[in-house]
Amino acid sequence: MDPASTPLGKLLLDEITPVVMVLSTPLVEEACLKNGLSLVEMLSPFCVFNNIDVPVRTASDQPYRIQKFKLRLFYASDIRHPNLEVAKERLKQVITRAGEKDDLYSEPPQTSNLLSSSESEIQPSWFEFFNKELVRTMSFSDHEAFDHPVACLLVVSSKDEQPINRFVDLFNTNKLPSLLNDGAMDPKILKHYLLVHDYQDSDQEKAAKILTDMRSTFGLHDCQLLCINSSDHEMVERQDNPWAPYKSGDSPSQRLGCFLNVDDYNEIKDLLQDLSSKHIIPYMEQKIRALNQEVSATRKGFRNQIKNLWWRKGKEDVADSPAGPMYTFSSIESQIRVLGDYAFMLRDYELALSNYRLISTDYKLDKAWKRYAGIQEMMGLTFFMLDQSRKEAEYCMENAFNTYLKIGSSGQQNATRCGLWWVEMLKARDQHKDAAVVYFRICDEEPLHSAVMLEQASYCYLLSKPPMLRKFGFHLVLSGDQYKKSDQIKHAIRTYRTAVSVFEGTTWGHIKDHVHFHIGEWYAILGMYELAVKHMLEVLACTHQSKTMQELFLKDFLETVQKTGKTFEVLKLQLPKLNISSLKVAFEDHRTYASPVAASVRECLWRSLEEDMIPSLPTARTNWLELQSKLVSKYRESNVCVVGEAVKVDIEFKNPLQIPISISSVSLLCDLSAISDELNSDALSSTVGPQNDDGSSNLTTNRDMSSENFSFSSSEVDFSLGGGETTLVQLMVTPKVEGILQISGVRWKLSGSVVGLHKFDSNMKKITKGRRKAKPPCDNLKFIVIKSLPKLEGSIHSLPEKAYAGDLRHLMLALRNPSEFTVQNLKMKISHPRFLNIGSHGNLKTEFPSCLEKKMASEQSGVHANSNNLSQTVFLFPKETLIQGEMPLLWPLWLRAAVPGHISLYISVYYEMGDISSVMRYRTLRMHYNLQVLPSLDVSFQVSPCPSRLQEFLVRMDVINRTSSESFHVHQLSAVGHQWEISLLQPVEAIFPSESLMAGQALTCFFRLKSCRKSLTSTDKVSTLSPLLGSDVSLRPEGSNEPLFDISCSPLADFHLCERLHQKMSHQGDPNAVDFILISQPLKDNITPGIADPPHLFSHHACHCSTSSTSPISWLVDGPRTLFHDFSTSLREINLKMVIYNSSEAVASICINTFDSTSTSGHLSEGTADLSTYPSGDQTGWHDASVVNNIKVTSDVHVGAQVGKSLSLESVPPFIWSGASSTRVQLEPMSATEIPLQICVFSPGIYDLSNYVLQWSLLSSDDSGNQEGKSQHSGTCQGYPYYLSVLQSA
Amino acid sequence: MIVCVAVVGHQNNPLYIQSFTEADDALKLHHIVHCSLDVIDERVNNPKKSGSTLNETFLGLLYPTENYKVYGYLTNTKVKFIVVTTDLDVRDADVRNFFRKFHVAYVDAVSNPFHVPGKKITSRTFAERVSTIVKSFGLSSAG
Repeated sequence: MDPASTPLGKLLLDEITPVVMVLSTPLVEEACLKNGLSLVEMLSPFCVFNNIDVPVRTASDQPYRIQKFKLRLFYASDIRHPNLEVAKERLKQVITRAGEKDDLYSEPPQTSNLLSSSESEIQPSWFEFFNKELVRTMSFSDHEAFDHPVACLLVVSSKDEQPINRFVDLFNTNKLPSLLNDGAMDPKILKHYLLVHDYQDSDQEKAAKILTDMRSTFGLHDCQLLCINSSDHEMVERQDNPWAPYKSGDSPSQRLGCFLNVDDYNEIKDLLQDLSSKHIIPYMEQKIRALNQEVSATRKGFRNQIKNLWWRKGKEDVADSPAGPMYTFSSIESQIRVLGDYAFMLRDYELALSNYRLISTDYKLDKAWKRYAGIQEMMGLTFFMLDQSRKEAEYCMENAFNTYLKIGSSGQQNATRCGLWWVEMLKARDQHKDAAVVYFRICDEEPLHSAVMLEQASYCYLLSKPPMLRKFGFHLVLSGDQYKKSDQIKHAIRTYRTAVSVFEGTTWGHIKDHVHFHIGEWYAILGMYELAVKHMLEVLACTHQSKTMQELFLKDFLETVQKTGKTFEVLKLQLPKLNISSLKVAFEDHRTYASPVAASVRECLWRSLEEDMIPSLPTARTNWLELQSKLVSKYRESNVCVVGEAVKVDIEFKNPLQIPISISSVSLLCDLSAISDELNSDALSSTVGPQNDDGSSNLTTNRDMSSENFSFSSSEVDFSLGGGETTLVQLMVTPKVEGILQISGVRWKLSGSVVGLHKFDSNMKKITKGRRKAKPPCDNLKFIVIKSLPKLEGSIHSLPEKAYAGDLRHLMLALRNPSEFTVQNLKMKISHPRFLNIGSHGNLKTEFPSCLEKKMASEQSGVHANSNNLSQTVFLFPKETLIQGEMPLLWPLWLRAAVPGHISLYISVYYEMGDISSVMRYRTLRMHYNLQVLPSLDVSFQVSPCPSRLQEFLVRMDVINRTSSESFHVHQLSAVGHQWEISLLQPVEAIFPSESLMAGQALTCFFRLKSCRKSLTSTDKVSTLSPLLGSDVSLRPEGSNEPLFDISCSPLADFHLCERLHQKMSHQGDPNAVDFILISQPLKDNITPGIADPPHLFSHHACHCSTSSTSPISWLVDGPRTLFHDFSTSLREINLKMVIYNSSEAVASICINTFDSTSTSGHLSEGTADLSTYPSGDQTGWHDASVVNNIKVTSDVHVGAQVGKSLSLESVPPFIWSGASSTRVQLEPMSATEIPLQICVFSPGIYDLSNYVLQWSLLSSDDSGNQEGKSQHSGTCQGYPYYLSVLQSA
Repeated sequence: MIVCVAVVGHQNNPLYIQSFTEADDALKLHHIVHCSLDVIDERVNNPKKSGSTLNETFLGLLYPTENYKVYGYLTNTKVKFIVVTTDLDVRDADVRNFFRKFHVAYVDAVSNPFHVPGKKITSRTFAERVSTIVKSFGLSSAG
């Protein structure tokens, strides 16, 4: 690449060019000012020669041609070191002006766009200008020679008096710049004399005369005449004014050079071309030769070098001043420098470089650091222009840069310039990354400069390959901070905004927040509040920030919003967070809910409950009016809601911050298109045509949120959220006209100033039936609003939340219809009939619990259990039931807390509209109650056959009071079924000394249960289902006259049936099972006075208590107990009778084995051994049998004692069984048979006739095998003790 | 002294960043760590050497700022560890050793079944371990 065509090359060719000092008289300036220009300004456009083509020879006589050339013209007064303060001010203005041009409202650039565009597009154009200005502030330094004037242009006007003297005066020393005066440069410079003649003032003759004078005085070639303002009073219009770029300020460019016509134009051009090609270049060439010769003579060659070195060594004790020793123009060092710079300017870089090298070491040895740095700088640039040895070029630049910095503050400016050149050099070689580092190093304390440099550095990172975006962003941020420090807010915003795109989409929250927050803050300073708010919104939900930062962000945000003076509507406001997945819509179409709790129950539960109660969908639809079917076909995917009935939306708000925020006016965003008129017109369209148009125009959309909106009203909720809190908010919208309601979003107000909007996602799944409750947010939020309908309100009075198990209560269902339309055809269904039972209208007024008390037989007809309303079926209210107006319909319900635990009761009431024309024909009212049931009395029954009597059982009842504080009266025990008779074994007082059962107390009592059932008849089975008659036994003390409760009465019987059904699950139906109902009452004292507690009744149902033990066989040996016989005559044969009863449902085969026992206990063990050898291998051995027979612990003592006694008594001679020792019988189910037995007794005594064994096996089919282990296939039973006393008759 | 350690995921998302200074310079350290990613990217994409250094996880000095030195480490799963230290003369071996310990701690932290890969590391145990390692680094480099 040609170095001259790079930006740096161009810059150098532009900036390092010969300087011409201009000295002019005031009259010259005056003439020029007519054109709105100063002399220098007028001449400057013609100082750039792009094709001058001047032949030059190098010092070594190598010819070459200079094509491009440029002169820099300066007034003598300007040739001095620029004032730093002024320069700074100018730079600041440059920046400020550039900042004002920025369009802060436009979208910030995206990194992807930045990457794809070229350098010149990315960087603000004023950078270049700024850099140039910055370099210029360092011009006319005495340590370098290229700013030293090469020539001097003396200009005098033809109007001046004594022009020749004026010329002499002009080059008067006291007006010359310090550079010439203090000896830094040679005052003998090339002089050129110019006479300016204004045509408008006088004719040319005088001028010509002066020119001849001049020529005679100053020399023929050095004098020239310039005639200007030759255009006579007419403005010269130029398309592209050559002066415009050189004139700063705001004078209109059309005025510039208005009196200069084409002749003047060409004259100026020729003048300058002549000046440069015929005077300046040859002069420089000549000077180069002269200097080169001198330098060669004094410094070149081995001898000179040695001499120089020795001479320098001698000056080692030179003070280390930053400027180094003073070098006058005549010193060899200065001359070498001048030679180098002249060579550089004439593009003889080889010569320049050799001279720079020569002088570099000298300056270094002299410790003239500034000059040394300047030389190094130029060497670097020369290397660059020669396009060789990049490394060396960079080394030189770095060396120069560091040296400048080393000399302290005075070198700072030079360092900056050097850095800028260095940067350009690196950029030209695509070393953007290194360039960025240099830019970074250029930064000084001046924040404004640093800002610009940092910004340029950032662009270098962007341009480096591969782009370093993060550094780009970082430096932009740094730069922005510096801009902010120097009050260049617009620039700060610009840099930050560019940086935003870098951090966008990343998770670097801290950085992002910082950037957005500051942009917002700065926009606010500028008063651009909308944009400020926009950026501040980004940082609102900053969960990762500390609490103080969150507070700061929120405070600033709210302040900014307040400053705007209006309320903002912000879509997707981050504060608070909306949990969309929590969105829940509750609305009532044909399904209505008595309480919000009921609405939250899963739909499928309700559906299964209502399955056989509501008409199936297709039939319902055909029954609907045409109107509705039309509607439905139109908006099948929509849900239906009713005018005047609220649609409720539950949504969760979460505060992501640690600080509390206040939210107000939370409401739903809704559209309600009123279509009632349209529908009407549709309906009328067959008859009246024209109305169609009116109708369709009536389709209006109301988006208004205000409360005076007539088409719907929505609720507003205010709340405040603490740090990290989550709140579920219920919002309501109540449509007031028919139409289509669309819930489109939520709207809220944050801290009373910012309105947040959240639109619900519009991509909604289609609901297949449109009959489902909308649950997920993707469900349809569109509703068809239909005409208002009656809606029942229902509640159950005095339903407790907690109850003890067994608690039986009388409740009241109240149904109210607030609308004026009637409803009819009511049906009701309850999910848990075991807990809740429907009474009949008759016992609405009855007193509880007295209504359950046993009446005289004649009165019992009243309320018998109706097995029809048992469980799963639907309860139909009487046909004539209508609910209308204020009067609620009351209906009795019975509650019985069946089992401990938590239970959810679902009640659904179906009703039809009295008004047939309504769109919806029926609705359901769904009620839901939760009931907690606490354990109260644990009742268990154990039934064992009575050993002494057939068909009689001992019942042991264990009652434990499981409550923590309640005490109970045990009121009565009833055995259900007319075949049972129950009676007490002991008097009540013996069982209940305290009359009540305290908390935690256990109680055991015994009853005798007698089966009145004869043999098995088919009617028996039926009777178990027939009205529950039974026998009761009062457990109250004798004295109390409290009546017994009738268990066959409605609620008790119903509940009992339910219990039976329920408990059947665990116990297979056993015909011998018995059901018990224990009725108890809480002790009245425990009930807190003052609260009218309804009377309680507790019923505990134990169903299917099996009466049979392990064996289905029961038997009884019957015979005489005491006999008198004279054993002296003969032995005595005694006939006995064994009655065997088969209580199983299968045919039993029974084998009775008798064995003669010895009186010793050894025989018993023998018997055991015998038994154990039974091939059946049954576990029911002798011991087992006895244990099993005596299962009941209570009876164990009893029997055991008898056995023990019998054993001890067996010292008498034995008896023997006569007759068959083994008898086998088949026994039909539920039947009894008699088997005769006979023994022979040889002597008087008491005999225990228990030494027989009954082996039984059931001969039934497989189903008996399926029965659980309780009843076995076969078994062996040891005989009961039977004592026979035989006495010697007298 | 180590002033900041950071774990950066393979998509250059911060997983864990913890400063150990009293001053409120979290933002600055965030920026430094964020910028270091550029250098890491550069190192990874243009490896200067091949062969033996191919499997090297330690990336060395990323860039020296005025007051800090930034070191990097790249795991096999392209998770980057970055350490910002104020010690201006740190031996590479020390830093290497530090990173090795840090890596072990990180592996343990992400092996936690409750850690969601690609999400920020919130384990308190990890934080404790890291601060112990950081403290021990200060001791070893001082001694």
